[in-house]
Amino acid sequence: MTKIEAIIQTSRFEAVKDALKEAGIEGMTVTDVRGHGRQKGHTEVYRGREYSMDLLPKTKVELVVADRLAQTAIEAILKSARTGKIGDGKIFVSRVEEAIRIRNAERGEDAL
Amino acid sequence: MGEAVLLEALRAECDACRRRLEENFRTHGDAGAALTGRAALADRTISALVSTLFASAPAPGSRCCLLAIGGYGRRALFPSSDLDVLLLCADAQAAEAVREPAAALVRMLWDLGWRAAVTSRLLEECDRFEQENPEFSISLLDNRPITGDPALGTILRQKILPSLAAREHSAYVRSLDEMTRERHQKHGNTLFHLEPNLKDAPGGLRDFDLACWATAIQELARLGTPDHKRAWTAPDAGWGQLLGDAAGAAYRFIAAVRVFLHYHHGRDDNRLTYDLQEEAASRNIGVAGAEPLRVEEWMRLYFRHARTIARISKRRMDEAMARPSLYSAFEDWRARLSNADFSVHRNRVFCRRPAALADPVFLLSLFEFVARHGLELAVETETIVEQALPTSNCSAGWPGEGAAAGAALRRILNLPSAGLALRAMHRVGVLDAVLPEFRAVDALVIRDLYHRYTVDEHTLLTIEGLHALRHAASEPDRRFAEILAEVEQPELLYLALLLHDVGKGMPGGNHVVASLEAAERACPRLGLAPYERDLVAFLIRNHLEMSLTLQRRDIFDPEAVRVFAEQVATPERLKMLCLLTYADIRSVNPESLSPWKAEMLWQLYAAAANYLARSVDGTRIAPSAGSDRELLEVVRGSPALAALAKPLAAFLDGFPRRYLKLHSADEIAAQFEMARHLEERLVAGDPHAAETQLRERRGHYELTVVARDRPRLFAALTGVLTEWGMNILKADAFSNRAGLVLDSFVFADLYDTLRLNPEERGRLLADTEDAAAGRSAAEMIPRRRFARGAAARFRAAIATEVSFDNSCSATSTVFELVARDRPGLLHRISELLADAACNIEAALVDTQGEKAIDVFYLTQHGKKLSAAEGQALRETLLESLGRE
Repeated sequence: MTKIEAIIQTSRFEAVKDALKEAGIEGMTVTDVRGHGRQKGHTEVYRGREYSMDLLPKTKVELVVADRLAQTAIEAILKSARTGKIGDGKIFVSRVEEAIRIRNAERGEDAL
Repeated sequence: MGEAVLLEALRAECDACRRRLEENFRTHGDAGAALTGRAALADRTISALVSTLFASAPAPGSRCCLLAIGGYGRRALFPSSDLDVLLLCADAQAAEAVREPAAALVRMLWDLGWRAAVTSRLLEECDRFEQENPEFSISLLDNRPITGDPALGTILRQKILPSLAAREHSAYVRSLDEMTRERHQKHGNTLFHLEPNLKDAPGGLRDFDLACWATAIQELARLGTPDHKRAWTAPDAGWGQLLGDAAGAAYRFIAAVRVFLHYHHGRDDNRLTYDLQEEAASRNIGVAGAEPLRVEEWMRLYFRHARTIARISKRRMDEAMARPSLYSAFEDWRARLSNADFSVHRNRVFCRRPAALADPVFLLSLFEFVARHGLELAVETETIVEQALPTSNCSAGWPGEGAAAGAALRRILNLPSAGLALRAMHRVGVLDAVLPEFRAVDALVIRDLYHRYTVDEHTLLTIEGLHALRHAASEPDRRFAEILAEVEQPELLYLALLLHDVGKGMPGGNHVVASLEAAERACPRLGLAPYERDLVAFLIRNHLEMSLTLQRRDIFDPEAVRVFAEQVATPERLKMLCLLTYADIRSVNPESLSPWKAEMLWQLYAAAANYLARSVDGTRIAPSAGSDRELLEVVRGSPALAALAKPLAAFLDGFPRRYLKLHSADEIAAQFEMARHLEERLVAGDPHAAETQLRERRGHYELTVVARDRPRLFAALTGVLTEWGMNILKADAFSNRAGLVLDSFVFADLYDTLRLNPEERGRLLADTEDAAAGRSAAEMIPRRRFARGAAARFRAAIATEVSFDNSCSATSTVFELVARDRPGLLHRISELLADAACNIEAALVDTQGEKAIDVFYLTQHGKKLSAAEGQALRETLLESLGRE
């Protein structure tokens, strides 16, 4: 099993969700997060005061999928989250050893 | 009969009876039969056990008795409820004699599937309020004899309890109040939950019990007074019978649902889960009728019933707590907030002239009093208000009183405790009378896991949320509080909030459209001016736009900000839409406005506000370049303007596009007339003519000047106002392509000169015309009007900030200046700009409390300032203004 964590622009979330759904992947965990990579923060001067956001608002989408679906999911996220601008985000992929459904203790891909 | 045989026989009877009751409930939905049937079964079981177990005791029957107490005493024995029994003994000897049989009784009841608790007390022990165990003393209020010596029960009811209630009235009430507060606290002090607890949450069955106990204490206390000879009057069906039909119906509904839950779970679990709401609705639990209700409708019934119970329990507790001594009553009636119309007693509002409540204006002044002082209405005041309301259908609002009611509603909305007043108005039906459109969302449920509140509750929370900003503690909230402080007519924002979701309760697929239609009916009836109606309609139409932009657009993309800002068009609209969005999101559920979302919202607001301030000359009306769509829209909407289409286009050519949004069609027509007069005077040979107009505007004055552009014109005009002792709050300066200048100033008349001396208005206008024409030396005016003390009064720690930008305008350098506002500030700034040979192409001047926020579009000799010139001017401004 593979865990995919995608940090994306909040404005692209709906498109990412739709793309994953189209790829047959519906289970996901979504979190509002803040952060920045090489793209630095944002400063807005308003009424003479400077308001800096060192950490920009992003959306984190986490999903664990069967290995055979991992590339499909990654492609779907790449296509739908990309605007071509700095700050489009990143995807992190890692191995998952085990998944257990708490309700009935199912394990492995059956628990996904 | 031996114990084992008896137990076996009773087990068979209990099992059969329980099955029968459950089957009956499943088939007929009769919760009442389930509750009383179980109580009767418990009575029979206990009687049978007692007759065997107590038969061999040394003091059989004659000196002790068993009483049902608590829910069992009320015959409200839910399928998984506890069975509370009191073993009442005449003396210690009798108690000792039945100790063993009583223990056996408890054991056997558990064996038979009853969750039994038998409490043993001597008769004399019941004659004191148990501070350490108030639940027991309270449970005695519902006592009912099962078996044993009937005389003991009679003494308890006829003598002991009335005298205890009279003596310990305040201990009872205090305990009930404390227990209720603690219980409500656990449930967030709201009856609105996605999965409500039917027993303990506000509006649940425990609140119904609370109302019963408060009533019982009052009744018993009356019996317990020495001059009273009345007998025990607890109705057979319990104290709840005294609470009225609505409370009875509410109790029956929620009790039926609790029976359903107990049968479903097989345990005392009272949480109405999301899934079970659907099942209960599909089975019409608590509802008469064959057709199942949609789950949303069924939950709407639930919330209405819960609201009824919450209300009746609060009322009854209010009555029980308001049992004052004569002296405290005398003291209280003189509470300092009382006036000729209303009095305040124990923080409750009473009406001194009930007959006058038939007059809607007087009636609404009662709620204005509530909104101003943050006080609840007394129970009796609510009752007489309900009686005073017209009984006819008020679907068109208060006949003949719309505008007066509208004016009162606007005052209420602006007062600090508007939420409290609106809740009271909603409760007693006054809000329905003033704003019948709101009726559509009464207890309306939006059933998903996101919307926690009913639509009416959500709406009231939005208004309370904005008012709460006045006491904002966190930094993000303080930012929104600052925006609120700048809004010119916050009552229009609150009115838009009241109406923004009413469409959800109306036919049609799009609630925004239905809400707009409702606003179109309501706003004229409430006496709103056309531009006010437009503003309310704008807010309702766009109430989802800012949320959608946050979710679906990259708010750090200048293009996304531009599109959004141009849609909003004016700073005032932006402020109101931002606050509406803030209030709307945070009132969906307690966690819906996360710090993350609040930050995003503020960033979008700041970016859009900056865009609007820095793009004034980037988007100008250009009718000469072809048909201007926005201009055509404005002209089409006004017959007065349509007749002037061509000359009007020439007048507007080159004005910032925002001009069309800032002014109503009537204002545009009036300003165009001023420009026409000016042209006539110029043609007639008066090369220095200027047109002026002065009008009152929401407690301030607005001076409009149309003149030919010339150097130092803006400084001259601000100089006149300064000389006259006026404090400029807002100003706009625009010029068209033909070199015509339209300046408007909103100012406060600090010394009431114009109000006390109406003839001075003419002189002010004459001075203004002279200054505009360059006939006076106004620009040289010494600031003699303002004594030193006047400036000293305006003290706030606001540092002067000046910044300039050469990138956001194609033709001008944009200077933004923030400084502590004081009389004469704008004149001083405009003098400095004129001294630097700067021409003001456009100006946007605003004040927020003691802060002045000015934006100037400047050119020097027809061009932008260079970076060095800009820096030099910045330093001049900083040095000069910072020193003062």
